[in-house]
Amino acid sequence: MKVFHIRLAAVLLMVFAVVAGPLVGTAAAAGKVALVIDVGGRGDLSFNDMGFKGADEAVAKFGMELVEIQSNSAADYLPNLQNAARSEAFDLIIGVGFLLADAMAEVTDQFPDQKFAIIDVTWLGKPNLQEVGFEENKGSALVGALGAMVAAHYGYDKIGVVLGIEIPVLYKFEAGYRFGLHWGNAKYAEVTGKSAEVGLLWTYTGTFSDIAKGKVATQAMLAQGAGLIYNVAGPLGIGDLEAITEHLEAQGKSAGPPFMIGVDANQDYLGDGHRVLASMMKRVDYGVYSAIESVANGSFKGGVRILGPGNGGIAISRQQDLGDFIDFGIKGGAISESDRSQITANWQAMRAAVPAWIWEAVEELEAKISSGEAKVPCDWCADSIKAIRAQYPD
Amino acid sequence: MSFSPIFCHCFRKLVNLSCGCFSQFRVGTYEDIGSIVSSMIARATLIKRLHPIMESMLAAVIGLMIGAVIMLGYGYNPVAAYGSLFQGSFGSLYSWAESLANATPLILTALTFAVAMRGGLFNIGAEGQLYVGALAAVAVSLIHLPSPIHIVMALCAAMLAGMLWSLPIALLKLTRGVHEVISTIMFNWIAYFLALYVIAHVLTDPLRGEKTISIVETSRLARIVLGTTLNYGLLIAIIAAVAVLFVLWRTTVGFELRVSGHTSVAARYAGISHRRQILTVLLMGGATAGLAGAVQVMGRPPTYAVLSGLPQLINLGFDGIGVAMIGRNHPIGIIVAAIFFGGLMAGGRVMQFSPGVPLELVRVVEGVIIVTLAVPELRNMLGSFRRQFAKKKVYDGS
Repeated sequence: MKVFHIRLAAVLLMVFAVVAGPLVGTAAAAGKVALVIDVGGRGDLSFNDMGFKGADEAVAKFGMELVEIQSNSAADYLPNLQNAARSEAFDLIIGVGFLLADAMAEVTDQFPDQKFAIIDVTWLGKPNLQEVGFEENKGSALVGALGAMVAAHYGYDKIGVVLGIEIPVLYKFEAGYRFGLHWGNAKYAEVTGKSAEVGLLWTYTGTFSDIAKGKVATQAMLAQGAGLIYNVAGPLGIGDLEAITEHLEAQGKSAGPPFMIGVDANQDYLGDGHRVLASMMKRVDYGVYSAIESVANGSFKGGVRILGPGNGGIAISRQQDLGDFIDFGIKGGAISESDRSQITANWQAMRAAVPAWIWEAVEELEAKISSGEAKVPCDWCADSIKAIRAQYPD
Repeated sequence: MSFSPIFCHCFRKLVNLSCGCFSQFRVGTYEDIGSIVSSMIARATLIKRLHPIMESMLAAVIGLMIGAVIMLGYGYNPVAAYGSLFQGSFGSLYSWAESLANATPLILTALTFAVAMRGGLFNIGAEGQLYVGALAAVAVSLIHLPSPIHIVMALCAAMLAGMLWSLPIALLKLTRGVHEVISTIMFNWIAYFLALYVIAHVLTDPLRGEKTISIVETSRLARIVLGTTLNYGLLIAIIAAVAVLFVLWRTTVGFELRVSGHTSVAARYAGISHRRQILTVLLMGGATAGLAGAVQVMGRPPTYAVLSGLPQLINLGFDGIGVAMIGRNHPIGIIVAAIFFGGLMAGGRVMQFSPGVPLELVRVVEGVIIVTLAVPELRNMLGSFRRQFAKKKVYDGS
């Protein structure tokens, strides 16, 4: 019996050695970048996938190698960053998402010679850490103005916003949206001579994952006469759009209004291309890309970088982005290649139906925000959101 | 198929519950199927056994080889992958510290399962008890106390919470005959959603709605090795394991418990109350599971809070079952198995970037190794279930 076991083990080891032997060997690259992501992982068609998109593009451009490190548990955040830093193999280690903030604060002190970058965090202040923040308030102001003017144009008197968990970052979205709504109402009155009093419906659903809550909130808003719903809760947009689609189907229609406004990624390709009017694009991909670029060309600096409408970090979705994001949607499995031409045609028809002056007005607001002429609240309004709600009421 | 006796057992209990007033009702058919399956297992277990340690080593080798074949199939180099697995688990002081840090909560949740198994119960409720334990430890941060007292208070609160969470399971079993597999699964889910509610509405951090308040400094467990996540929670886990060892093998309570678990009929004959054993094992298990939740939030940097979705707690209870089985449901075996398991987790992180094996595949390989390691004990457990089954039949006169 014993002899048999020894023989068995020996045979198994030999098989192992033969099979595994020829596979040793690694490739070299111009540099290495680690992308550490939270437990969300790939496939959200939004924030995380945008991070990967930027990293994939950057490493292809600069001939670098990308290693992605996914976290299996929140207990992995710190060790994942530490392991990457300890290996001394990476020119840059990027943390995607504010959930990694606490771990990043510790690891940047522990490895002062390692270059780090983090997305959506702006308060750590370390010399070896590039913090990339976004002016979501300004982007939200643009879609708020667009929403108000479009709703008034189509004869609606309300627009809505479905938000996630009530955290200060989301106050930025809300404050900007309120500002935009009031600006859009004023602009509509100025151009058409008719007074526009589009009001605001807003809901904090308390979740970034329960899609059904997005649907219920949107249904309630549509029942109150909302002509457009802004999704500020990541995947809940799927529920928002479902409610809009069903609302339209009940009237025998497919194309909006009512419309949805997408968030983070360009989500215009969803809803057959004619139910998502526009998206407030937060270019996480650009944030990641430019961090890698700064390492590749030697200009890396620690400190906070704010990306907004003026420097390509925040934008309203446009025609040139659509094809790019149809690829993104196909890769993510949301749509298929055969839908491409139909989506593009529907999207063009939807955009063309909105009067040109409205698009020009949005561009005007964008220019004013960039030049500082229009001041959008707020940078961080954990304390001041009540005052902002009073200043720009529902 | 190999689980059939357990499920037959559950099914019988369920039928007993649903036909409470028809307690004379006999489910003879299921008994018969059970006995057929049992005899098949009996034949399988007749194969001569190796020494337990040799057996585990052989199982580990087989697991590693299957894992290697899977990685080859996906085009990854298994030699490099296992090299970094070892490097990341036991290759340096840092990796040792990380492996031990991962092992800490697993020792405690494995004890929950093992104690119940020794007492003849299949307790898979560590998962839910660990959530409430973690929340209780956070709640203690609402009061201000000097450091060592604060830590002790938080640990006690967590144990108490875990015990309270297992009390209904014991009561349901004692009064209504609800099988613990069913009730623990249900209570795990109740605990999960309760935790989400508490994070969002009760212990919420006012500035960051996605997490609870952080544990205050005076209630945190210090780190053993700076720059790692290893903390004195490990010491607490080892003390708990030694305590369980002492209670089970050096006290009357433990002796009765083991007799009751091994052969309930003999225990009954000797005048040992099976009902008291049920209460004892479930409460002891609740206490260690609660502690697991506490050490995870009080000791594991950097956040020291429960995050929405429970990303640092989830699955620790279920992983504990695997650890208990690899460790043969013995406290010392569990410590060794938990360190091995923790090493797999720590090394798995490194496998992701050194040969670039994606996390999903890392998890598959880890899973294969764990399953093969658990096979010997699974065989033992099925054997003991078979014995119980056979004896019950004799003494029930069926």
